[in-house]
Amino acid sequence: MRELAVLMEELGYDELWLSEHHFFYDGYCPALLPAAASVLSITERLRVGTGMLLLPMYDPERLAALATDLTVRSRGRFDLGVGMGYRDVEFDGHGVSRKQRMPRMVTGLDVLEAAEADGGAPIWMGAQLVEPVKRAGLRGHPLLFSAALPFERCRTLTKVWEDGWAQSGRPESQRPALGALRNIWLTEDQREREAARDWVRASYVQYAGLGWTLPAVGDHQQQDYAAQTDKAIADTVETTITGSADECIKQLRQFDEVGIRHIAFRLILDGEPRPALESQLRRLADKVLPRLRDRVAA
Amino acid sequence: MRLGLILTERREADMARLAESHGLFGVLAGTGEPRTAITAAVYASTATDFVRVVVNVRLGREHPVTIAEELSVLDNVNNGRTVVLADTAELTPGDAADELAVIREALGNRPISHEGPRWKVPAGLPANVTAPPSLAVTPKPAQLEIPFWLTGGAAGEVARRGGLPELARDPAGAPPERPVQPAIARITGSLSEDRDAVSAWMVAGATHLLLEIPPGADQSAVMTMVSRYLAPEVAMPHFPRVMSDSKVPLPWPGAGRI
Repeated sequence: MRELAVLMEELGYDELWLSEHHFFYDGYCPALLPAAASVLSITERLRVGTGMLLLPMYDPERLAALATDLTVRSRGRFDLGVGMGYRDVEFDGHGVSRKQRMPRMVTGLDVLEAAEADGGAPIWMGAQLVEPVKRAGLRGHPLLFSAALPFERCRTLTKVWEDGWAQSGRPESQRPALGALRNIWLTEDQREREAARDWVRASYVQYAGLGWTLPAVGDHQQQDYAAQTDKAIADTVETTITGSADECIKQLRQFDEVGIRHIAFRLILDGEPRPALESQLRRLADKVLPRLRDRVAA
Repeated sequence: MRLGLILTERREADMARLAESHGLFGVLAGTGEPRTAITAAVYASTATDFVRVVVNVRLGREHPVTIAEELSVLDNVNNGRTVVLADTAELTPGDAADELAVIREALGNRPISHEGPRWKVPAGLPANVTAPPSLAVTPKPAQLEIPFWLTGGAAGEVARRGGLPELARDPAGAPPERPVQPAIARITGSLSEDRDAVSAWMVAGATHLLLEIPPGADQSAVMTMVSRYLAPEVAMPHFPRVMSDSKVPLPWPGAGRI
């Protein structure tokens, strides 16, 4: 990870986002702050964010102290993205009742917001349902959308978030840009395109293993990874952006147009050949980054 | 006996690098603000390649599984150089022993299913309906088993129960029978005083002495004293001082570049 972070910085990427799960066979990172510290300590410019840290499972006072420490040490290059979590085993392993995740989330946000106002880490939130998205807008925190959300759903939820922001009375001029993870593979080679899409498919089989489900929102249907595994995964693979630089940029600009200006390329897939990953990072940096406005992450 | 260095908060990377360049066995991170010890230890880790990174872990504040997960990530960051200095803080001996047991079991290579006086892991809470009766903290540490040292009010009793070393703060508390007997001491920067002090620790039975250097001291000069005079003095019994007292070789021509 640290070697990739250094490479990303050299190639001109702006942000690196880390995600969290617990007790999973492949060593999925369960402790994002030490992982973020390891990257921040060896880079100069790259921002590092948690996308997402599962807030209800932590002591918020200690978490706030750690996040502020990282913010100071990195000279403001750390972003603290928080979400609620959904796996029973993760709550149970940390002695937290899943029923308590909402009150613990709210209490935790209160503590983190006080720390942010005092020079601590900027808070981001992860959410994919109407009410939590609106709450994020009301509280004034930018969102980072999951890579599994199709563009249309991101657009719908962005509008919900903007309504929340407006209701909070905050000025529109201070409204932050939102972010989204995206599965992407820049290639004009049909075989490579198919391989990349199949690696994305395989990566979402892991989410079926994690027990993840994307609930319905308005006209957007539920993607049930447990009951309709193959269909849900196939639908998610369709969110993958592949093709030439022009084709990739055209799709990425859709996000820009609706106010989603932090795009995190979801490129690190379990078991993926390292040379393929590095080659893709270089290809995107060479052909896509210079033509996009604002921040680009991976 | 081997010497190590206590790191100052937010200067961990530079000081750890300095300690490594002077051949010390390890560094202690996180003695300032205990809540941020893990990031302090990460910064010491990524600045170095060889030194052991002793991280001060205050018990009783965060869930022990979270602590174990952070330690495991730290140990992967530094390729298996982590040593834990567990501070029992305000916990009773019974509670500290139970919390420590959870952390060590969680870092072990078998699934954890723990029920003790303070902690039950997994908790088995009714709302967590699909949670299994055991779980595995992942990733596992890079080293086969992370060493644990103890400090704090309940450290003596917990150390006896668990067969772990307690950090000595006085030579009388450094029994010579343990294969590893860590200790901590402040040096003054005075060669004669510090020579006598570290020698006393070696005679008492300490094996790894963590040094706190005086506030405001020229750290590079103090470390030169440590590596040239103090470390050799305690690296072997009956050290022939003629070697460390001899004249320092001339600087290599070309500012040290060969």
